[in-house]
Amino acid sequence: MGKIIAIHSYKGGTGKTLLSVNLSTLYANRGKNVALLDLDFRAPSLQAILKVQNSEYWINDYLNGVCDIKKALINLSETHAKRGRLFVGLANPSTEAIREMTAKDRKWEMKALGRLLSLKTSLLSEAGLDYVFLDTSPGLQYSSINAIVSADVVLVVSGTDISDIKGTQRMIDELYELFEKKTGLVMNKVLVDVLDSKTQRAELTKKLLNSSKLPMIEMIPCFCDILRTGGVSIFVNDKPEHPFVKTLDKMATTIEDL
Amino acid sequence: MSLPRKVDPISTTLLQKIKESLDRLNEKMEVMIEIQKHERHAGPEGIPDVLDVMTLLSLPDHLRKTAVTLCKLDHATAEQVAEQTKRARAVESGYLNQLVLMGYVKKERRGRKAYFYVERDENPDEMKEPWEKS
Repeated sequence: MGKIIAIHSYKGGTGKTLLSVNLSTLYANRGKNVALLDLDFRAPSLQAILKVQNSEYWINDYLNGVCDIKKALINLSETHAKRGRLFVGLANPSTEAIREMTAKDRKWEMKALGRLLSLKTSLLSEAGLDYVFLDTSPGLQYSSINAIVSADVVLVVSGTDISDIKGTQRMIDELYELFEKKTGLVMNKVLVDVLDSKTQRAELTKKLLNSSKLPMIEMIPCFCDILRTGGVSIFVNDKPEHPFVKTLDKMATTIEDL
Repeated sequence: MSLPRKVDPISTTLLQKIKESLDRLNEKMEVMIEIQKHERHAGPEGIPDVLDVMTLLSLPDHLRKTAVTLCKLDHATAEQVAEQTKRARAVESGYLNQLVLMGYVKKERRGRKAYFYVERDENPDEMKEPWEKS
């Protein structure tokens, strides 16, 4: 049985989408069958990053009960994956759709949770996918908590600033642990000199973990090359020898064993 | 020097029973508090709160575990929930009935079995399409 992995963070801009896109592609290149779903309905971004045309159906439609999940998935296997299959489900980026999604009531959110929970049957059991990545909105929002409840594993991405670290610690205590989720931490955009110093690295890890026993999956260095590409490059395919891809490769193996 | 006092086995059993009773009482009180909260939150027509993620977060730990498991299973008996939570069937039956009382969960009888479910007013199977095997 495959795994549903939600990628979440306390603050925005931590690199969730960058990690979701590259990890999904990396697993597909390893021969796995993967789906990546954009659940960031407030700021959809996968369509721009993956350079795909407008979808006939969006993940919004699936959650609204308009279509089956199969209809909301676009097959990118030929263009984006070397060995396995790669599907993407897009969030509708139109202003109207964003406005509509932010005005949903609690009953709708409850139905949406039911639909996300049923992905385990439709995408893992029936479609035989190995991984489903849920790229979520940051913070405590309905769509992201729904994704967390539906996931088997949660990867929490934090930056190094104190507000992000404190917020992440609160979410560990008041969200992931309450739902008894298998959770792994990722610290992104860490300065290289901090990573090179054993003491500073240990201090930063301690600062984020606090009293939690959660595993630190990876500390990813801050790469100027990533900023330079302006989000248009999928490093796993475009720059397979880049140290960022080497770090992700190690990370992907750790996640497989979680 | 005083010798360590031997604990009477009857007293140990009695203490254990008292502890279990207190635990049960504590759980019941938590549920009563939740029911009171729920009654305050219910609308003028007495429409119950829905079992969304915010409600799940506000439930006491033991009920949250049962409610999340039921959400995952969709329709389930107490036994099926107990298989997932690794708790006793009687315990899950109690928790599920508490969730029914709180208005978050529905219960229906099919023959001799009682099934619990979260009412979502829809049937997701209606628009299901088969996956291609390729």
